[in-house]
Parts: sequence; C-alpha cells; structure tokens
Amino acid sequence: MKKLLKTLFFSGYLISTFMVLSAQGLTAAEIIKKADEKFNGEKSSMMVMSMTIIRPTWQRTVEFKNWTMGRDYALTLITAPAKDVGQTFLKRGNEMWNWNPSISRLIKLPPSMMSQGWMGSDYTNDDIMKESSVVNDYTHEITGEETIEGRECYRIKMVAKENAAVVWGHQVRWVDKKEFLVLKAEYYDEDGVLIRTETGSDIKDMDGRMIETRIVLTPVDEPGNSTVIIIKDIKFNIPVQESFFSQQNMKNIR
Amino acid sequence: MKSYLLAWRNLWRNKRRTLITVASVFFAVFFALLMRSLQLGSYDHMFRNVIESYTGYIQVQNEDFKDNSTVDNSFDFTPEIKQLILKDKNVTNLVPRFESFALASTGPLTKGVLVMGIDPEKESLLSNVKERLVRYKLTDKAIDTLKKLNLPEKVKSKLDLFRGESYSSESILQLDLGIKDKEANSILPEIKRVTSFSNGYLTAGKKEALLGDKLAKYLNLNIGDTLVMIGQGYHGTTAAEKFRIAGIVKLPTPDIDNKIVYLPVDVCQDFYNAPGMLTSMALCVKDNNDKAVNRTLRSLGQELPSPLRLLGWREMNALLINQMDADNKSGAIMIGILYLVIAFGIFGTVLMMTTERRREFGVLVAIGMQKSKLAGIVTFEMIYIGLLGILSGVAVALPAIIIGQYNPIRFSGEYAKVYESYGMEPIMPFMHINYYFLWQSVIVALIVAIAISYPVRKIYKMTVVNSLKA
Repeated sequence: MKKLLKTLFFSGYLISTFMVLSAQGLTAAEIIKKADEKFNGEKSSMMVMSMTIIRPTWQRTVEFKNWTMGRDYALTLITAPAKDVGQTFLKRGNEMWNWNPSISRLIKLPPSMMSQGWMGSDYTNDDIMKESSVVNDYTHEITGEETIEGRECYRIKMVAKENAAVVWGHQVRWVDKKEFLVLKAEYYDEDGVLIRTETGSDIKDMDGRMIETRIVLTPVDEPGNSTVIIIKDIKFNIPVQESFFSQQNMKNIR
Repeated sequence: MKSYLLAWRNLWRNKRRTLITVASVFFAVFFALLMRSLQLGSYDHMFRNVIESYTGYIQVQNEDFKDNSTVDNSFDFTPEIKQLILKDKNVTNLVPRFESFALASTGPLTKGVLVMGIDPEKESLLSNVKERLVRYKLTDKAIDTLKKLNLPEKVKSKLDLFRGESYSSESILQLDLGIKDKEANSILPEIKRVTSFSNGYLTAGKKEALLGDKLAKYLNLNIGDTLVMIGQGYHGTTAAEKFRIAGIVKLPTPDIDNKIVYLPVDVCQDFYNAPGMLTSMALCVKDNNDKAVNRTLRSLGQELPSPLRLLGWREMNALLINQMDADNKSGAIMIGILYLVIAFGIFGTVLMMTTERRREFGVLVAIGMQKSKLAGIVTFEMIYIGLLGILSGVAVALPAIIIGQYNPIRFSGEYAKVYESYGMEPIMPFMHINYYFLWQSVIVALIVAIAISYPVRKIYKMTVVNSLKA
C-alpha cells in the first residue's frame, strides 16, 4: 500500500515536473487560462477603472470599481459621473442584477440583455460580467507566433463549443509569450465575420504583476466608435467572501 | 342693327326660354362653388387643427432628429439661438419640447412609454394638455351612487356600459349617457358632482408626471402614486427617476393615450441628462398664411447655425398632406361628375332652343340674312346667357359662402363626439374666397362655350327649304 502510494506520488511528481519542463510548450488552453488568471486573479481581484466611450460627435467617461471572485461572482460600482454614482451591477452564477439608487429598484437583467451595450459603451453586459468562460466555453488551438508591438506572441484561435452560451463564433487572441498578456483579440460572429477588435497596451506593474492598463475596443462596422478602458488600480487575490456579492451589499457598497 | 343689340333683344323675346337656360348655368356655378368651398374649407380646417394643436407652423430641430429621433439628436437651446429666432417679426412665442422613450414601471408591471417634456404654461399655446385633464370619471363608487339617484332608466342603463370611462369634457359625458339637452339642466349637475375627478397639473421643476388615461389604467396607477421610469439618457447615460403622478389626461387617440407620459420640460431634461437640450422647438407665428410662413422659413433658415434646421408644417405633416391629397382626388372626381351633369343640362337647353328656333332661322336666311351674321347673333345670345348665369351664380354663392364661413355647418350627435374627441370643433366650414372662385366660373364658361358650337354648326349646315318646312 505504502509502495503504491509512493509510486503514485512519484509518478505524479514526474508528470508535474514534465509539465513544468515543457512550460515553453504549453497547450493553447493553458496559455489562455494563464492569461485569464493573470488578468483576473486566481481567486479574486479588485480593479479601479475608467471607461471612455468615443463616438464621432461626442465622448463620455464613466469610472467604476469592480470586484470579482472566481468566475461566478462579480460586483461593479459606478463612481462617476455624478448622475450615475451608486449604480451597481451584481453577477452571481448565471444571474445578473442592476441596482439603481435614484429609483431604489433592483432590476434583474434578462439573458436577452446580455448582448446589449453596457452603460452605452461598445462592451456588452456579457463582457463586463464575463458570463461565458474563455477557458471552458471554447476549444483552443495555437495557430502561429507573431510579434505585436515588439513582443513575441502566441496566436491562438478559440472556437466556441457547440452548446456554449457565447455570442461569438470564434476569437483570435495574441498572448504575450513572457507575460501572458492578451495584447490583441479579434472577435468573429458565427459566419466568421470580424465584429470587433480589442488591443491592450501601456503595460505596467500593478500589484506585483505586469499588466496592460489600457484596453481599446473598436467595433468594425461602426467607424469612429470605440471604447477605451484605463485600469488605474488593481489588487489581486483580495480577501473577499461570497457574502460580499449580495443584493444587500449592492445597495450599501461605496 | 348691331348683332349684339339684336342678340340682347332676342333674349327677351322669349323670356321663359332665356330664364330656363340662365337657371341651368346659375345652378351649375352655384353648386360647383358651394361644393368646392366646403371641400377646401374642411381640409383647411383639419390642417389648422393639427398644426395649431400639435406641431405648430414651424419647428426648430436638430437636422438628424427627423430621421433618427433619439435623445442624442437633440440640440442645445442657447439664449443666443432664442434671441436669433425671436428677432424674426413673425415669431411671437416659442414652445419647447423634449420627446423620448422610456420604460415605465410600477410593481411587477412595465410598459414602454412615450415621454414628452413640455413647458406647463407655454404648451397651452399649442396642444392644450390642460384641457385634456380628466374631469369626470364613472368609477364603481360613482355608478353605485348614481344608481340610487332618481335618474331616467335610459341613463342608468348606460352607466354600466361606460363603467370606468373618463371624460375631459361635459358634453361627451352627456352624449355617452344619452342625456337630452332639455334634461341636462336638471340632472347633469348632480351627475357631474358625483363623478367629478380632482386632477392636478404639471409645475416646472417638480418631479411630477401626467399620465394618459389608458396607461394609468394599465399600470393601475392613480393620482399621488409613484411612477418609476428607466431609459437611456443623453450620450448613453442611464436615465432613471421616480415621479409623483400629478394628473391623468384623456387623449383622443387611443394609441397615444396608452403610452403617453408628460413631464415638465426641465425635469425631463434632467431625467435624460441633457440639461438645456431640446428635441424640438415649435414657433408660434403671427401671420400663418403660406406666404408669411415661407418667408420666415427662408430668412430664419439661413441664419440658424448648424446642426439646427427649420421644418415647415408641410414637412412635419407629410403623411396628413398625402391623405388629404388622396381625399382631394376623390373630391375632384365628384366635382367632375357635377360638371358632367351641368354640361348636359346646359347642352340640353341649348339643343331645345336650337330646335325650337329652326323655322325662325330658316326664315331669316331665306329673306337674305347671312348665315355668319345669324351665327354671330346666336353666339352673342349664348354669351349673354352664360354671363348672366355665372354672375348670378357667383352673386348668390358669395353671400352664402361668407355667411357659411362665419356660421359653419355644425355637426351634432355621434359625429360631433368624434370631432370633439380629436380636439376639433365639430364643424364643416366654407373656404374663404380665393382663386377657386375664379376657376369654377371659368370652367362653367368653357362648358357654355362648347355648347355654343352646336347651334353655330346647325346654322351653317342648315338647308333653308327643310328649315322652312319645320
């Protein structure tokens, strides 16, 4: 028995060593998972961001804080402009709510609203709440290696799984080889038409990690439109409980 | 003797024949004028009603608003623009509006609504929302009380039929309940007292709303309740606010009545995060005839800075104008039929006259009168008859139309109710005198001219021997 355990332990050790050794030869899914965890935190995260919506004739900036825990829990609090302050969005599992203090109403967002723009931006509610998982809802494949802004990247094609509830047909992501940052992403619909592109830049040290702090989202069919997200602060793996992501907290958080 | 004198004497040689022919022309002119005047008058009346009760003759809008009516296509109404517009002598007042959509909700009920920000005072210059406030309501309680009163059985039976109905005017309440005018004095005051409904109006700066009657029923809301609205504001902001319901209005179009929410314009701007912005600004004009309006459109249109633009009432009411055009076509067909009848009438009398005088013509030619001279005399006769008919027709139609213009035909009963519920006077006015008068006369004159050709032709083709035998 002891021997068996030892063997098992040893073989497990061997396997993990093998995986570490082949770190440079990670699978596509592992690269995406690593990049995702790096950006969103392994357990939890808290970000302070600003989002500028750019339109041909105007632009507007919204500032917000965002807490996440794992894939299932997220809470977003709007901190500017004054008129929208105190609005919160909560995600628990597959459900999403919006609290609006000026009407004291908690509104449950129906799945049909997930593909609609969030706060008037090019980001959809689904993007903000990350309802779908880039790791579990797609099959991944490394399709090449390219250089983006002087950084070597894996080019990874992600095709949505058939029964996954995602809005995209497939995505192509360029992930930095060293830092595992998504420097560029292209989103295609079911017919393979490019809908929008997302680029990350301004890589800075945030809470001990190198992170891109400026993300620009550009829809392809609406020239002149784009949305710019600037990450001002980020904290990874903060001590946060599941109880934090509650409807009660939506109304009280500041 | 000159032929025109001969013709004049000929006319009065047989007075009866002349008078019959004159009468046929007279009635032709008279009826054509009256019919056209009524047609044009009712179009005019309808246009003015729509224009003066809703759009106004001229509006200022963002140039993109007409095609894409979103809050983002509103415009900043600055004091400079206000001054610029008021500088035009024809503009007397400005009525600001802010229109958009939102979701209105209460408890578990939600409905998409049309939100209309209005200036509570100035709006009365155009659509008089104040007059649309519900004054009487046949609530269950009111009906129970009324049933205990000493009312005619007929009225009592109607109460159930109109249960829950709201009224903004006394006359429609009276009509619905089938109360005759002579009964009205005795029983209407009591009914009004029992059914009276206390209603409030908007106040600038107050977060209060007026609701359409049908919308209020759907959302099950009453005066003093809270209405929650949520929508998309200016530049993608969130528009969400609570409003106290100040009043309930009854609008004639059910389609609007079940989705309209009126707010004070400043509150509406705040709600949509667009302070100082308007989606449209209606201009009240001093002179509302086409010429004056077009002049204002042209001169002001050049001065307004982009992206503002002026819209005339024709542009704003394109649909209505198309409908009127279609109706006008059918009116033209009716007039055409009338002309046809008139033409045959005139032609018939001319035919009769020619046949009657065949022998006379024969004798005249036999004793040496030239056919051309005879034809000339007959032509003069016809011209006199035509002129007499047209002039007398105009002379009689003129006062009739002028009287009709000031005392238009008034509908009563069901018809009146329909008109009134649309906020129109239940009348059918005559069109004031203008070019159409001349045209009707010219057309009748043309018919007479064509009729002349028959006796002239007859005279030239006449064989004297046959005529003498006639």
